[in-house]
Amino acid sequence: MSQVEKKAGLLRRTSSSKKPLKEKVVLMYDEIFAKEDPAKNNPRFWDELFLMKVNLEYLESKLESVDGEEVQRIQDNINSLFHHCVQALGEEHQIKVVNALQTLCALFRGVHQKNKSASGFDIINMLMGFDKAEQRMKDLMERLDSLLCGDGSESLKSLCLKLLLCLVTVTDNISQNTILEYVMINSIFEAILQILSDVSSRGQHGYDSVVLLALLVNYRKYESVNPYIVKLSIVDDEPTLDGMGMVVHHALTEYNRQYKDKEEENQGGFFSTLTSMVGSMFIADADEKLSVQTNEAILLALYEAVHLNRNFITVLAQSHPEMDIPTTPTTPTPTAPTTPLGTTPPSLDMMNNPELPLDPNLQTSNLLITFLKYASIVMQDTKDEHRLNSARLCLIILTCIAEDQYADAFLHDDNMNFRVNLHRMPMRHRKKAVDKNIPSRPLVCAVLDLMVEFIVTHMMKDFPMDLYLRCVQIIHKLLCYQKKCRIRLHYTWRELWSALINLLKFLLSNETTLLAKHNIFHLALLVVNLFNMFITYGDTFLPTSNSYDELYYEIVRMHQVFDNLYCMVLRVSTNVGQWKEPASKVTHSLVNVRAIINHFNPKIESYAAVNHISQLSEEQVLEVVRSNYDTLTLKLQDGLDQFERYSEQPKEAAFFKELVRSISLNVRKNVSLNTLSQDVLLKEFSTIS
Amino acid sequence: MEDTEPELPPSPSVSSSPSLSLPSTPSSCGPPQAVTPPLCVISEAAGELSLVIDAEVAQRACQEVLQKVKLTQVDGDGGDLQNGAGPETPAPLAVKPLKIREESDDPEGPAPGSVKSARRRQRHNPSKQSWLLRLFESKLFDVSMAISYLHNSKEPGVQAYIGNRLFSFLHEEVDFYLPQLLNMYIHMDEDVGDAIKPYVVHRCRQSISFSLQCAWLLGAYSSDMHISTQRHSRGTKLRKLILSDELKPAGPRARRDPLTLTPFCPVASPSAGPGPLGGEHGLSPSKRTHQRSKSDATVSISLSSNLKRTASNPKVASSQDEPVRLAPQREFIKSLMGIGKRLATLPTKEQKTQRLISELSLLNHKLPARVWLPTAAFDHHVVRVPHTQAVVLNSKDKAPYLIYVEVLECENFETSSIPIRIPENRIRSTRSVENLPDCGMTADQRAGSFSTVPNYDNDDEAWSVDDIGELQVELPEIHTNSCDNISQFSVDSITSLESKEPVFIAAGDIRRRLSEQLAVAPTTFKRDPEDPSAVALKEPWEEKVRRIREGSPYGHLPNWRLLSVIVKCGDDLRQELLAFQVLQQLKSIWEQERMPLWIKPYKILVLSSDSGMIEPVMNAVSLHQVKKQSQLSLLDYFLQEHGAPTTEAYLSAQRNFVQSCAGYSLICYLLQVKDRHNGNILLDAEGHIIHIDFGFILSSSPKNLGFETSAFKLTTEFVDVSSDG
Repeated sequence: MSQVEKKAGLLRRTSSSKKPLKEKVVLMYDEIFAKEDPAKNNPRFWDELFLMKVNLEYLESKLESVDGEEVQRIQDNINSLFHHCVQALGEEHQIKVVNALQTLCALFRGVHQKNKSASGFDIINMLMGFDKAEQRMKDLMERLDSLLCGDGSESLKSLCLKLLLCLVTVTDNISQNTILEYVMINSIFEAILQILSDVSSRGQHGYDSVVLLALLVNYRKYESVNPYIVKLSIVDDEPTLDGMGMVVHHALTEYNRQYKDKEEENQGGFFSTLTSMVGSMFIADADEKLSVQTNEAILLALYEAVHLNRNFITVLAQSHPEMDIPTTPTTPTPTAPTTPLGTTPPSLDMMNNPELPLDPNLQTSNLLITFLKYASIVMQDTKDEHRLNSARLCLIILTCIAEDQYADAFLHDDNMNFRVNLHRMPMRHRKKAVDKNIPSRPLVCAVLDLMVEFIVTHMMKDFPMDLYLRCVQIIHKLLCYQKKCRIRLHYTWRELWSALINLLKFLLSNETTLLAKHNIFHLALLVVNLFNMFITYGDTFLPTSNSYDELYYEIVRMHQVFDNLYCMVLRVSTNVGQWKEPASKVTHSLVNVRAIINHFNPKIESYAAVNHISQLSEEQVLEVVRSNYDTLTLKLQDGLDQFERYSEQPKEAAFFKELVRSISLNVRKNVSLNTLSQDVLLKEFSTIS
Repeated sequence: MEDTEPELPPSPSVSSSPSLSLPSTPSSCGPPQAVTPPLCVISEAAGELSLVIDAEVAQRACQEVLQKVKLTQVDGDGGDLQNGAGPETPAPLAVKPLKIREESDDPEGPAPGSVKSARRRQRHNPSKQSWLLRLFESKLFDVSMAISYLHNSKEPGVQAYIGNRLFSFLHEEVDFYLPQLLNMYIHMDEDVGDAIKPYVVHRCRQSISFSLQCAWLLGAYSSDMHISTQRHSRGTKLRKLILSDELKPAGPRARRDPLTLTPFCPVASPSAGPGPLGGEHGLSPSKRTHQRSKSDATVSISLSSNLKRTASNPKVASSQDEPVRLAPQREFIKSLMGIGKRLATLPTKEQKTQRLISELSLLNHKLPARVWLPTAAFDHHVVRVPHTQAVVLNSKDKAPYLIYVEVLECENFETSSIPIRIPENRIRSTRSVENLPDCGMTADQRAGSFSTVPNYDNDDEAWSVDDIGELQVELPEIHTNSCDNISQFSVDSITSLESKEPVFIAAGDIRRRLSEQLAVAPTTFKRDPEDPSAVALKEPWEEKVRRIREGSPYGHLPNWRLLSVIVKCGDDLRQELLAFQVLQQLKSIWEQERMPLWIKPYKILVLSSDSGMIEPVMNAVSLHQVKKQSQLSLLDYFLQEHGAPTTEAYLSAQRNFVQSCAGYSLICYLLQVKDRHNGNILLDAEGHIIHIDFGFILSSSPKNLGFETSAFKLTTEFVDVSSDG
């Protein structure tokens, strides 16, 4: 074995220095691409081939260079190569297995790159031959399955996953990858689950497995019955689901940590700025971009798990004591075997770094908290395409969570209090991180904070309308739950109210520009209805009687916004046009707010007049409010506590298609030839045998 | 073995048949014979024949032995007896009932055997002795007396008698004195130990919980001793024996056999009883009993090894199939203790609480299992720990915590099958009715109907259609069921949909409802991260049970129960256990005498010399918490909680307060309880005060506070509440 290794090493060095000298393996590839059966002259041809170090570049370029007619001629040989690859996977000789896996990778890639336009059937024919395709793929999947589930080398398993990722992402649009039809029939779902359920294998292959699963679930999601969707939706094994959650958790934590490091770097003094500048020349920028992209894949996995599997919701709240070990180094608990995150591109050894600059408030964390923090970072800047997608996906996930009864239950659980340090965008008019000492509260407070934060920080020309809609709907869903379950959350609702009023104000002042692109009336209606929820159902979920008074105070204080809104919608609804109907809906929804304003304003004015006060204090206004409730009549509006449930199928399908496409591209790029490097494997196996 | 109990009824008739004394306590005397012989039989069969214990064999052996003994007794010579006892192990065992008989003879016939009485006279006043025997036979003789005689008497015969007599007491009664019993086993001389051991071993065989109970106590009470002593090794040895799980019933078959045996045995043993000359061995009783129990011990050990050996034998293979008996419960306790230890390392209450919750949620993954809370009064399996409800209690450097535990009551936790795990999120639909109580369908029905719904549907969107959506579908239906309490809530928008004409509501009504509902809610404490237990403990127990039940996937089961327990790690609870015993004793005395005093002894489970569990007092918060949260004087707090001074509620709360205050003042005086700060005095929802923490009693005091002058704590606040006007 060592001989082979030496040979391989030698050859590589020579091949890199002197081009014209051809490796043996290259000569053998050439034989395959010749017309004749390579095994004719050399019966041990295939055996030997898989003992050679694979030259991926050459093989791929060779495959690409084959043109139409040639394909017909060499098809038998390629079929034969594929066949022998699959067979070699069953070999005891690990080197052969490794080489076969890599050769398969090259085959899949090469053939697809050549035939970007070709139909999937042609590709299958070229690789395996129509008649034998089914059997070949069955064999392949079975071999991979047993390699993944067996207790063989970890590197081998990793390579198997790489091959699968390579296969899955070989086309831009995953649904056009016809070969995956065989992966659907011969499921490797169980193997993925097994990897996720085991602590050590999860550490090493968890990331790849989760990404693979997320991609497989998205294969022809809307057109056919995808067995992976079905299977994922019924998994109820807790260790497995937990494992999946852990992988997502680690990836998101890693991202959060990197962001934080970078942020602190930027905030540091001159020296650190200098070093970061120098540093960023090499890595920083690329690194960060990269991590955003990979986390889209992980986010997709999180979404699929939350959306498809109702048992996964429990994992969100599942906190793992071992997760916070780096934060509490004093804890004598035996550290769970923490392994680097496999191939996560920014895989820094987060668990091995003892001096993490983690905030002292951070305690036992759970997936949901990490996710909220991640979301708060991603949402800060939605200009970048990837970040926008990430933010949208985050909001979709939150929508799913807000709709889930169990999730709502633990979000509102008064006994599960956490400090969640959300990232807040540095803005001119407010200091950053003033609230280092946020109180420990039920998790729903963090969700609401996040929503408020988003509302406040995204009123810009390039208005992210759909994000705003999702945001307001999430708040609405949470309120519906609170109303239904009569949960009196101790939350500073005032912040939400003023954020919403400011949003209305923004919509009004940018009416013309916004109307060109968006239906602002829909958003306005949702916002006003949130107020209607508070006004008519406040008794069921407001924490104190004072908070109801404050609501009125806030409305009366900002009455101008509502007045202007009313004027605007009235104007639009009286004109004929596409906005007539939506605007008139807003007009109707404003009835209670207007009633309140019209009722209390004169009262306050007369109070001021009687008492000769020009500027009433808040307490005085509240006093007026309190004493004049009884003469105010409100109108009960329909369906305030009802909402449209999230459904992926018609509305979001396009988004997900695009998202999966971008993730595919990204994963393909990252499953680079380098990561398939053989050196490590060779070293490992030379000692084994 | 536990089945011997039902078989007891025949025994009185049996025991009355011979010309025995037993005038007063046929029933109390019956059992010892009824129970002891099977014990002999088992040990004999296993020790000598290394066979599976067979009913017939055992029976015969028993008869034979007794017959032999009877013969020797008739011969009436102590030497004979000794000879008879020497060669085979069971004989000494059988001698015991005989010896008892002999002693009990005395009250009836005045000292028949001259030799015996002569012997006895050597050490005791015969009349006194006879009185003692009479006492032992009398109805009044209870466990408490047995324990004290066992402790005080230097007479091996008496010790041996009491050792046997223990079998005749109700298990619960003996269990109460288990700490004393085991302490004697560990710390007193061999005779006492030997007298106790058969009983302990016997009970260990019968019950897992007793085994563990013993193991824990043995460990705790042995811990202070010097390693060198042999006695020390005796306690530890027994502990090891128990924990090695070798004291298990010898397979299901053997288990049933004693059942059939029992009716016969009493016949045999009383016949051995009247042997007039049994008193002989008063001569060398120590030697005898020593021999007996020694052999007994070896037998029990060899028995276990036999069992092991035969485990490979297909005959008893069934016993091999049983999972390890003690392991699950030990693991459970171990993990609870582990949590406590890890919590102690965390600096803040908040961190502790969060860590506790997360640790418990992991613990949940391993439940349900054959584990139980030893402080509970009924058999059950633990199915779930509602982890979010757990709280860390106030303590400076330790981390005691309170957990609630959902259990399913069962017939017998050893034999009943373990409940099937139900995933956490199956509760969703029951949750939906959480706050719409008593509307048509019960939560159970809902849960029932829900669980039959398959988990997924082929339709892509179907699996997420539930939750709030479902809730909304339910609502109109609930509304048509028209329960009264709906009407007092906000009118639902759906009604307006139906009526089609605008519904108007007064803003004043909304505001009023809000403040009314806030007022109606029972007074709760504010959440304080530094004192997380205050809120949890203030919540009325029924309310908590209801809430947790609704939130639990097991809540719909009819045998669902909620228990709670305080887990203490790093605290020595042995003294607490002693205090509990004293309190319990006093309580029963006061009850007997109809004293209007009220105290609440709470159960203590000692797990080792520095860990244990405590049964929490329901609906009680500490005076410290009351004062801190309410910022009221105690009297004002009473007025707030119970109403005006003339109301029934207030008066009964006041009465409760006075009775409990008096009771605990006595306790404090008698036990010299120190460290009586407000954190150690609880106030329950009915007005009782309950003293907790008996860490400093009698002569021991907190380090910095060498003396406490007051005999008991009666502050002016207490007096204010107690006095009228």
